Amino acid sequence: MIEVQNLTKSYPTQTAVADVTFSVKEGEIVGFLGPNGAGKTTTMRVLTGFLPPTSGTARIAGHDVVTHSKQARESLGYLPESAALYPEMRVREFLSYRARLEGISGAEVSRRVGEAIEHCLLGEVAGRKIDNLSKGYRQRTALAGALVHQPPVLILDEPTVGLDPMQIIKIREMIRSLGKERAVLLSTHILPEVDAVCDRVLIIDRGRIVAEGTPQELRTRLAGRPVLRVAFRGAVDARETLSAIPGVHSVEVAGDSNETRAKVEYDPSEDPREAIFHAAVARGFVLRELASDVASLEDVFVRLTRHEEAVAAPAEAAAPTPTAGEPPA
Amino acid sequence: MKRFLAIVGREWRAYFLSPLAYVMLATFMFLNGLIFWRIVVILSDPGAPKEGMLRILFSNSYFWFFTLFVVPIIAMRLFPEERKSGTFEVLLTSPVSEATVVLGKFLGALGFYLTLWAPSLVFIWILRANTSIDLGAVAGGYLGVALLGSYFLSIATLASTFTKNQIVAAIIAFAMLIPVFSTGLFQSGYDPERQSIVNYLNLWDHMDEFSRGVVDTRRLVYYLSGTALFLFLATISLSAKRETP
Repeated sequence: MIEVQNLTKSYPTQTAVADVTFSVKEGEIVGFLGPNGAGKTTTMRVLTGFLPPTSGTARIAGHDVVTHSKQARESLGYLPESAALYPEMRVREFLSYRARLEGISGAEVSRRVGEAIEHCLLGEVAGRKIDNLSKGYRQRTALAGALVHQPPVLILDEPTVGLDPMQIIKIREMIRSLGKERAVLLSTHILPEVDAVCDRVLIIDRGRIVAEGTPQELRTRLAGRPVLRVAFRGAVDARETLSAIPGVHSVEVAGDSNETRAKVEYDPSEDPREAIFHAAVARGFVLRELASDVASLEDVFVRLTRHEEAVAAPAEAAAPTPTAGEPPA
Repeated sequence: MKRFLAIVGREWRAYFLSPLAYVMLATFMFLNGLIFWRIVVILSDPGAPKEGMLRILFSNSYFWFFTLFVVPIIAMRLFPEERKSGTFEVLLTSPVSEATVVLGKFLGALGFYLTLWAPSLVFIWILRANTSIDLGAVAGGYLGVALLGSYFLSIATLASTFTKNQIVAAIIAFAMLIPVFSTGLFQSGYDPERQSIVNYLNLWDHMDEFSRGVVDTRRLVYYLSGTALFLFLATISLSAKRETP
């Protein structure tokens, strides 16, 4: 439903999006993940026809966003970064304006508005002024506005930003149910969101896609070696003991006179858990804790988007410098 | 068309959801009331000429003073407000063209401007009940009001596409309207050709003509083509604004 081919968007002073290719199928929720200023919003603005691409193509439901802009825009619902609302309007009034702006007319307007209100759980505030709503309700109103014409493609720019945890859960549930029969592209820099909502993740950094896959795939592919957390009673020489165990790659030790804690990185082919237990018993160490650290998507993300100057500098000197950052909004 | 009407309707209604609209309505009614009072005073003087007194309503210094101020204020919110609230992005990513957006917003604003004038129909009704008036001249006067309003509003609409700041938009609009209004008032020495051009641009004279019931097609062409030109420029300016949202 969304097909992006070699999309580039440059400004006179910087390249916001460089040669990005991806697609989103029907019934799929794809998370667009990246640090602030990585090019998420710019990519979305090109997809929605708000900004023209410098080169490359983007299609929404088969319509090119440049040559068939109107048809492409008809097939998508867009939630911009700031909940774009008219504060002086009432919720129902705003939604019927959005519906008519999308070309819906007559009795169909109130039917679609009713459905959007029901879907986004806005029933109790339908007659209230948007200005007086809480942030969560406003975000839901904006989301209802984006889907009132029931488009096959939804593009949501940071849909949960600034909401409290309960509101976030509500919005995520909504997005998941929306994603069942639509193609949804949502951007975020909140990692648990991707785990909670998305079928697939695109990690974008400085205008380029640096990784793509399901959250699970990315974790196993990119998180590096698995890690164990180990704790012994008292101050003991854990480093030497643990390092001697086959399969252990590296050991990080911290602690005080009361407890010694270690982080053990090991090769996935050799599970050292039992060996650690036996070594502890042999040395007379009291084992207080032995647990697997599940590699978080956070680790993947940090690994991919951390810009260590020493490493990045020569690579950047070789390639044409892709500059991070979106144009000032 | 449905989409276009949705924009016009929202724009027109948006004025009545802000206190500014009521302040403008009240001020305008007060000024028009003063003028009406003067008309009534003159009409009740048995010695004064009764012919064409009504044209004072459409052609007086208050009228120009008020129009030059009120048009920038009406139009200043058109685009800056959308850009501030982020709805600009929604509007330009919905399946409507820039020209539709500009025209829709312009007509919403023109609708509000004409709404300001609507209460003055009461004066006409009162005068008509008590004295004989030339309805043709009245119609001409209102036509002039509408044409001049749309010309000025198209200029102010263009100004509002330039900036995110409403006050700045109003000041730019005012700065653009002043030369448009005053060029026709300059005397250009004794060159008759140049003087005829200046006369063509003399808006004050145009309104005088309209209020006497004279509808000159040259005036229609001037106002309508002027409106079209500035709305066209506003559309271009809006397209350029996509790059710097």
